[in-house]
Amino acid sequence: MEFHAFDRHYLEQLSSGDFRTQEHFVTYFSELIRLKLGKRLRSRSEVEDARQETFVRVFTKLRKEDGIREPERLGAFVNSVCNNVLLEYYRKTSQDTPAGEEDAESNIPDPGISALDAIAQQQAQESVRATLEDLSEKDRRLLKAVFLEERDKDEVCRDYGVDREYLRVLLHRAKKSFKSMYLKKMNKKDQGRNKLE
Amino acid sequence: MDHSEASHLMATEKYLLDELSPAEMEAFEEHLFGCNECALDVRAGSLLLEHGKVELAKPAPRVVPPEVRPSRKVAWRWPSFAVPAVAILLVVVGYQNLVTLPAMKGALAENRMPKLLPAASLVSSVARGATPSVIKAQRGKQFFLPVDIQAQSAFESYVIELQNPAGGVEWSLSVSSESAKNTLPIRAPGVNEAGHYEVIVLGRNVQGQDSEIVRYPFELQFAGAANPEAK
Repeated sequence: MEFHAFDRHYLEQLSSGDFRTQEHFVTYFSELIRLKLGKRLRSRSEVEDARQETFVRVFTKLRKEDGIREPERLGAFVNSVCNNVLLEYYRKTSQDTPAGEEDAESNIPDPGISALDAIAQQQAQESVRATLEDLSEKDRRLLKAVFLEERDKDEVCRDYGVDREYLRVLLHRAKKSFKSMYLKKMNKKDQGRNKLE
Repeated sequence: MDHSEASHLMATEKYLLDELSPAEMEAFEEHLFGCNECALDVRAGSLLLEHGKVELAKPAPRVVPPEVRPSRKVAWRWPSFAVPAVAILLVVVGYQNLVTLPAMKGALAENRMPKLLPAASLVSSVARGATPSVIKAQRGKQFFLPVDIQAQSAFESYVIELQNPAGGVEWSLSVSSESAKNTLPIRAPGVNEAGHYEVIVLGRNVQGQDSEIVRYPFELQFAGAANPEAK
């Protein structure tokens, strides 16, 4: 979960097809796009198709001469492309791949699990476990009812004698605790890797 | 929506909880895609929930029922059978105060006194061809089970089960990997049936899958009673 400044250099690297920049770009925005699409589309395959289509269009635009002019607007551009993809999905129009976009499609790096990602996943799992262990039994059961069992939130709050604000604050505290633990672990891992290098 | 509005609104939490209105959601997403801090926050929240579902799906060692508040919609009214119902209640309360509670206090006092529990070493019964250990206890009374677990890194925690002569599970106990480093002094609840029992030790991995590690068979006999023949 690192951040690279979306500056002119980053944009140039991205447009020229630098693999590491592309990989970072896709990884950075994939989860945001998945969350956005997941709230609007019905199935995982639809979400995945729309995610791919979003990146295809973004990279196509990037490689054009007039491309994206303002690097600081890169995020907003990705969001607007995703919105357009969604609009078309809603209208159920055909999405023929125009000539010239095939190259862009084949060059999109797949944010699959690499060895480093697998370690990051494990670190995340451990941090989540520790975060949940710090919660009271009641709070754990509350989160389980809402996010695992996907019960109606109002009903769950009634059962546990809390209101929606309590649920929000609980999520906020858990997220803060997890983020702190996870980033600490990832920083230690990066420092260890740098020492070896 | 700018960053301070998003923070004030707890937009990240509301986004993850699907509590934003459509307009708020669009406004937050427009901000989110361009704000590293909010993007990191949402991605962290998403990661927490993704991995949290795996952790929360694991069975808890003890189940505590949630406090359920009675519905406030029920009107407070006295039904016609209230008087006889109250009378029955008084009889029950009286019986509890005069009979049940004193008996419970006696049992509690007994539990506070130190005493030796029937036990036997289970380790020796694991070897092939070995005669199962014998524990002589009193029917319905507690007995002691010292259990050793060979800790393995593949397992995150352990589960100990007691299998009764019928092959059913008498009870199940979760044990952390930390506790498993030492011999576990298990105070087993009393049972009413003598015969062949087995302590089963299961290792539980991160995915919540159990694997049998070892079984400790033993014969439970009741002191002063006829016992079934050992198998």
